[in-house]
Formats: sequence, structure tokens, C-alpha cells
Amino acid sequence: MALTRKPPKAQTGVLMWLRRNLFSSPANGILTIVTSVILAGAVINLLRWTLFAASWERVWVNLRLFAVFRYPVEQLWRPMVILAVIMGLLGASVGVARHGSSRILRDVYRNILGLVLALTLVALVFWESVRWLWLMVSLTSLAGYLLGAVRPRVARALPWLWAISFPVGLLLLYGVTPGSGFLPIVKGHDWGGFMLTLILTTGLIPSFPLGVALALGRRSKLPAIKYFCIGFIEIIRGAPLITWLFIASLLLPLILDTDPTNLPAVLRAYVAITLFSAAYMAENVRGGLQAVPIGQEEAARALGLSGWQTTRLIVLPQALRAVIPAIVGQAIALFKDTSLVFIVGLNDFFNVAKDIVANQPESLRIPGGIQLELSLFLALTYWFFAYRMSTASRQLERQLGVGER
Amino acid sequence: MAATIRPGQSRSGERIPFYRNVKVIGFLVQLIFLALVLLALLLLYRNISTALGKSRLPADFGFLDDRAGIPIAEAPIRYTPEYPYSRALLVGVLNTLKVSLVGVALTSLLGVLIGVMRLSQNWLLRQIATIYVATLRNTPLAVQIVFWFTAVLSPIPPRILNAAELPGGILFSNKGLAFPWLYPSYRFLAWLPWLLVALVVLIILYLVRRRQIFLSDRPGNPWPLPLLAAVVIGAVGYLVAGAGNKLPEGIAVDFNSSRGRGTVFIDANGNGRFDNDESPVPFAATTVRLSEGELTTNTQNITESGRIVHSVFRFPLIEEREVGAVEVTFVNEEDAGGFALRFTRFPTTGMVYEDRNGNGAFDRGEELEEGATTGFGNVELLLTVKDFERAVVADRDGQIRIPAFKSVGFTAQKAREEAGGSSNPFSIFSPMQSGAGGETAELAAEVDLRRSGPLVLSKPSVPVSNYVGGIRLTTSYLALLLALVVYTASFIAEIVRAGIQAVPKGQREAAQALGLSNYHTFSLVVFPQALRIILPPMISQYLNLTKNSSLAPLAAFGELFVVSSIMANQTGASIPMTVILIVSYVLISLVFAVILNLVNERIKLVER
Repeated sequence: MALTRKPPKAQTGVLMWLRRNLFSSPANGILTIVTSVILAGAVINLLRWTLFAASWERVWVNLRLFAVFRYPVEQLWRPMVILAVIMGLLGASVGVARHGSSRILRDVYRNILGLVLALTLVALVFWESVRWLWLMVSLTSLAGYLLGAVRPRVARALPWLWAISFPVGLLLLYGVTPGSGFLPIVKGHDWGGFMLTLILTTGLIPSFPLGVALALGRRSKLPAIKYFCIGFIEIIRGAPLITWLFIASLLLPLILDTDPTNLPAVLRAYVAITLFSAAYMAENVRGGLQAVPIGQEEAARALGLSGWQTTRLIVLPQALRAVIPAIVGQAIALFKDTSLVFIVGLNDFFNVAKDIVANQPESLRIPGGIQLELSLFLALTYWFFAYRMSTASRQLERQLGVGER
Repeated sequence: MAATIRPGQSRSGERIPFYRNVKVIGFLVQLIFLALVLLALLLLYRNISTALGKSRLPADFGFLDDRAGIPIAEAPIRYTPEYPYSRALLVGVLNTLKVSLVGVALTSLLGVLIGVMRLSQNWLLRQIATIYVATLRNTPLAVQIVFWFTAVLSPIPPRILNAAELPGGILFSNKGLAFPWLYPSYRFLAWLPWLLVALVVLIILYLVRRRQIFLSDRPGNPWPLPLLAAVVIGAVGYLVAGAGNKLPEGIAVDFNSSRGRGTVFIDANGNGRFDNDESPVPFAATTVRLSEGELTTNTQNITESGRIVHSVFRFPLIEEREVGAVEVTFVNEEDAGGFALRFTRFPTTGMVYEDRNGNGAFDRGEELEEGATTGFGNVELLLTVKDFERAVVADRDGQIRIPAFKSVGFTAQKAREEAGGSSNPFSIFSPMQSGAGGETAELAAEVDLRRSGPLVLSKPSVPVSNYVGGIRLTTSYLALLLALVVYTASFIAEIVRAGIQAVPKGQREAAQALGLSNYHTFSLVVFPQALRIILPPMISQYLNLTKNSSLAPLAAFGELFVVSSIMANQTGASIPMTVILIVSYVLISLVFAVILNLVNERIKLVER
């Protein structure tokens, strides 16, 4: 005899999904309805304000201030060339690793490339002075990728090129001859905008070797070195970045016994940011060092490697690999924290909005000011980059985690 | 058999030269390192001392006793710019603590809420929480502070004169929040012994009850009896301490009715005036009475969107029950040019309108808009009150403050004298501009000291252009607090979510199998276990919040960093200020860390 049973209730479909996720119980249903009403009201109001009430014109008109502040227009090719070279190098790195496992880098490159292409389009239509420069950046990024993909041998040169690009880029930005000769010097107080934000974020690069040294020093068996490193790390971490920026601007001229005008504020902020990140980097690296099993070190010593060789060849590579996500996290934090340089009077992206654009006579004439527009513009821009980095960091974490197990 | 090798000896038995001995090398390396550090410090010292010698800036802490002259809008202790730098610094530290302690409490609540929401079964709530975390933790805190301070809390709330009255006597405006608050009056000291006794009784009874319950081996709550006893003792003490009418010896009030302000103080020399060496009495309850008085205002009001509206007028906040009779008229009939006047309601607002259809009442479209009636704006209005009486509780510095009333007839006469003279169209309150010396007629004002218990309830009011009384949270404080709380909560939410997810699923299932409700499963089984995982990273977030409070200059809130940076700029004392800043922050971080780690120790799982 065949047993007749009703078919089981459908567990799929839109209605079931709604029921399971939004209306699983009466209380849940009420919660859903109340929340969606509030949410809908907020979203509609925000949209209405963004599209109709807000005055975005002041943001649009001042985009150059936001990007590079007072960097001379006729010298704008210099930052653009740097951008082009970096994009080219990034493209080449991605192109070379095309067959490798670095999907994350490729995704990041794609996103940035998309942004660059979009900006190039806008530039071709609206921004006369930098039209061809943006086109150059686009072409270089694509060319870099193609070069890397066609000639994987360039991989050998890439690390060196990356290493050189950093000091050469800074030199190109600053200039060589005073006055108006070949590559005229552009003083630090004319640097600013998003360019300065990115430059200050590179403070992470010099902080890396410092941080590794401090982390190793903290684990040293020599008490003098150990306690010096502990003291340095803990004191720096004890006070917030903004105080260090302030202290650097007060003390550096005294310490170096020079006139404050000889030390541009950019340099002082850079030193403060580097030392500050070094302390945090040290703690991150220490976490990685602790994660390396003691057996690795013992095995290396048993093989006859010297202490320095053990650290360099066995411990550090494993430790650093484990802390890559943490370092990306630190990069995000630093990227956000560069906004604090307003305290030493630097006109980074944040300060251009807060101080310069918000207080332009034209901005003040708008009833109620444009603070809301400016802070949303700031928030969105910072968010875009920080969020992209944080998703990359999470992917990295997953990838490394898989590799370990 | 392997020969034992002693340190300092190679396998073949010969002595190792000292330069290959690990211990010696280590010692030498440290020596060289220390020498280098010392050299660097010497160089530093030399450079700094020559630089200081050249500039003659203060290099020791002597300047801390000088007059600070820094105005700090919000001080938890008595403070004026006349106090020395050390006092300003203390106010800064207290303000840092005030924002970070409150911030830690609020951010924990919000963070746990968002963290739990991220795990909710409700898809919508989950998405909202995810978006909250993804957006807020990836936006700089500096941007968020600017957003709250300059883009939201300064321009959007009603102006101070139009302060919104929320239920419970709370006032809200672009100058921040003010709400009623209980302060210890001069009677408080008489109550203090009773409070101490109550505390001791509470502890003793609690211990006794706990022991009893423990011995009786039955479940029970040791709290009710001790708490009841303590409350009874406290209440009896309150009544006893508050009984009778014992005012402090020589207490007096120096009140200037034309300025609307006065001071409650101990009149040591008996001259009835408040002198600098006499001590003010804080939080004394007083009643100010005026038989008759006048206030003027004009009709120009600036709306929230920065638009000038001619129609509406406002007087300082006066409640209906505070006055016997009230009347609003034009100061100069001829200037009013046929406009009509309507006194709408308490708190004293109303409007001037043009009665175009002549029906004697206000209709829509009759208001005086900008441009519609050019040249209008000099019309002043007069508020005459009879039998004004207000209960005022003195502030921390003994100050009492009411609207600055003029004697009846004075304002009208003055206006007539000045007719045709220029008047500032943007001054909303002419009483603020004190009349030329001696012209102001004193108003007969009576100030009585009221009897009060050990505690006195101070309600906020707006006598002129800022809050007086109650407890005030400035816009700066609110903006900083809000930004810190909202930002840090996004990090705490992630910690909470990870902590809850780390509790083994079996725990939840076992709790449900035992018949615990969803709520009890969470609050009794899952959360206590999650807390142990959550707390250590949470502590570092609390420390971050405390350190991030140094972004206060963006909200113009006078905490440690703001005060210190002003001090450094005023005095040029870079070295001492650097030391002060670093030591204060490291100390605050250390104290926080020690306390929170103690808590952590207490709740940590005890392992064998």
C-alpha cells in the first residue's frame, strides 16, 4: 500500500524567504515594519536633500583644491607623472602575477583602474588643464599591465623600481632648483589636498623597518635594548597621534636647533607619523613573531644557522607573512588619521574642506553654509578607499588562513 | 661519552677568545647601545638648551602659577580665566575624563546593540547593522566630529532664544542641552554623616545577611533589607539635616537688578557688596521678586536656515506662572506704521503682522517677510511684567541670573530720546547694551534666600542668551561625545559579534534543550561566556576612545589637549608642556588599563 503524504511545505521562493528572514514571529514582524518605515523615511529624506536641496556646486568648483591644494597648475604634470608611474608599476606587478594566486591585488588594481578611467573621462570633458595628463595616467596603467603580462621577466626589476619610485617621486614633487629653472622647487606649504593625504600615508613605509627593529628589540635578551624598546613603544602608544603631531611641531625645531621656518610642517608631520606608526607596527610584528612556533627557531639553530640568520631567514619571513592583514589594517587607520595634521596647519584633504572651502566667501553666502555637503563629500571619499582596503584585508586574512591550515 | 662543555670553553677544551663569547658580545653591544643613546640625549640636551637660551622661553614649571586667561566654556569645577594655568589644566583633565567615561558607557551600550543586531534573525536589522559598521569604521573620526559639530548640532537645532522645551524641563537648542539637576546645597555637610552611617549600615547588614543566607543553605537575595535600612537612614538624615531655617552666618545677596545678575556670598565685612576676598555660596536657593519691570526686543529673528524674518519676536524664557500680569506693546507707536501685534503664548513669543484685511486678527500671508516690507526692522517691542517672581538656584560660583528688566517707563523714554538715532539691526536685546553711566534707574528687586534641604533642584532657564542653572552640556561636548560613541561603537560591534560567534553552538543548544527562553539563553548562557572573549579587545577600544577624545579641537571642547595646546602657544613653554601632555595621557591610559584589567581578571574563566 502506498503511503500518501502531503508534500513538504516549500522552503524556497520569495514568500518563504520573507517569512523566514523578516516575519518569523509577530514581534519580528512588527520590528521589521517599524524599522522599514523609519528607514524609508530616512532614505527618502536623504535622497531628496542630496538631489534637490544640497548645493554641490562649491565642491565641484573646488575639486583642484581638494586634489592638490595650491600646487602650481603649470607643474601639475609632476604629481600626475608620479601617479602614472605608480599605476604603471602596479599594472606591471598585476600583469606579471597574472597566473599566480594574487587575485586580491588584481581586484584592487581593477578598482583603482576603473576610478582612473572614470576620472580620465571626466577630465577629457571638463578639466582642460589636466586633460592629457589624465589620459597619460590611463594609458600608462594599461601599458604597465600589458608589459607585465607579455614580458614576465620584468618581474625581476619590479621590486627595485618600486623601491626607487618612492624617493624619486618625492624629489620630483619637491623639485631641484629654487626659483624658476629646471624643476622649480614647490615648497611644502603649497602641497595639500588628497595628494598630501596620500603622501602622509606613505609614512607607513619608513615605519616598517623601524617597527621590525623595535619588535625584535623588544624580544631581545639584552635588557638595555629590551627596555629601551619597551619604553619607546609604550610611551608613543600611550599618547594620541594628535599630541605627537603637536609635539613634533613644537620640539623638532628645538631638537635640531634650527629656525622653525627651515623645517616645513610637512616634514615635521611626516616624522611624527613615521615614529607613531613604527610603535604600532612594532606591536603588530611582535604579534607575528609570537605566532611563529619556537620549534622553528630551535630547528634553525640546530641546523647551525647563526642567531641573525635564524631571525632573517626563518622567523621574520613567517612572522611578517602572518601580519600582512594587520599591516593593511594599520594602513587604513593611518590613512584616516592623516586628517589630524590640521593641528599643525597642513592643508590636507580634510583641512581643505574644513578650513578653506567651507570659509570661502562664496560658500558662506549659501544660506546655512555647505558644511553638510562638505562633510558628506569628505566621508564618502575617505570611505571609498578605506572600505576597499578593508575588504582586501579581509580577503588576505582568509587567503593566509587557508594557507596555514 | 660526551664531555660536558662549560661556557667559555670550546669542545676541544681551549678557551674561547672574549670577542667570540656570547655573553661578552651581548654586554658590549648593550654598552655601545647605551653609549649611543646617551650621546643622542646629550646632543638633544645641548641643542635644546642653546635654543631655549636664545629664545628665553620658560623651561620649568614655574609658569603654572601664572594667570591663565583661557576661557573654557564647560568646566566641571569652579573656573574663570582668572585662575592659574594649573587650574586650567585640571579642568582640561576633568573634561577629558568627563567625555571619555560617559563615552565608554554609552559606546558599550550602542556597540553591544549593533553587535547583537548583526546576528539578529531579522534580515533587515542585520543589514542595517552591517552597513553601520562598514560605513562608520571606515570614515575618519575627524570627519565625523566635524559632521556632528558644524553640520548638525550647531546649525540644525533651534536657536537659544527659541530653545525647545522637552518633557521633564529639558531645554535643547544650538547651545546644547540643559536639564534639571540636583546639587548639594550648603546644608549638604550636615547630611554627609548620615550618608556615611547609611553606607556603613548597608555594608554590615549586607555581610550579615549574606552569611545568614549562606548558613541557612537556601536561595535568597541579601540586598533588600540592607538597602531598605540604608534608604530609611538616609531619608531620616535628610529630614533632620534639612529641618529648621539655619542659613549660614552672614549670608547675603548682592543683586544688581538692571543687569539682572547677582551673587550669593558670605558677607565677611558686612558692607552688603560682594568683594573679591569674600567667598561665594554655591547652590543657594533664592527667590527673586520684581513688582514691575520692562524688557525690550525687536522683531528681527534669524531662522535656522540663516534667513531673517521680521515677523516673529521673542523675549527671554518666562513661564506663565512666574508673572502676575504681562503686556506687550510697541515702544514707539509711530514707528510701527500700522502693524498689528499678537502676543501668542508662553514662553514669551509673538508676532507682528500687517493687518491687510483689517479684521483685527492674523491671517496667513500677513507676516512680514524679508523684502516684502523694506525698511522695516527698527520697531522695538516692549514687554511689561507685573509681580514677576522666579525661583533661582545659584550656580557653582554663587551667581544668580534673571532677565535684565528695566524700570517701567525707562525704555520708552530712552527710545523717544534716541528716536532717529542709529540702532544696530542685529541686536536682539537692547537691554544687553548698558545705558550710558548712571542713566540706568535701579529697579526695586527683592531677593529672598529660600529654605532648602541638603539637596537643591536647579532648573535651567534662558535669561539672556545662554543657559543658566541646571546642568548644561554644550554643543561642543555633545558633538564630541556623539562622534566618539558612534565611531567606537562600530569597532565594539565587531568585537561583540566575534565574541558571541565564538561561543560553541552546543552551549546554546543545551540551554534551549533545558527549556530556557531565547532571552534567557542569551543573557544567562551565551553572553557571560562571550564576555570573557570580548573584554580584552574591548579594553583597548576604551583606551582608543579616551585617546581619541584629543580630537576635541575640532568641536572646540576644552579638554586636556585643547587646554595644553593653548597653554603651549601662549607661554611658549614647549618642553614643560610636552612633558605634561605625555605624562598626563600615559597616566590616564595606565589608570584606565589597570582598572579595566582588574575587571577582566575578575570575570576571567578560572582555569586550573
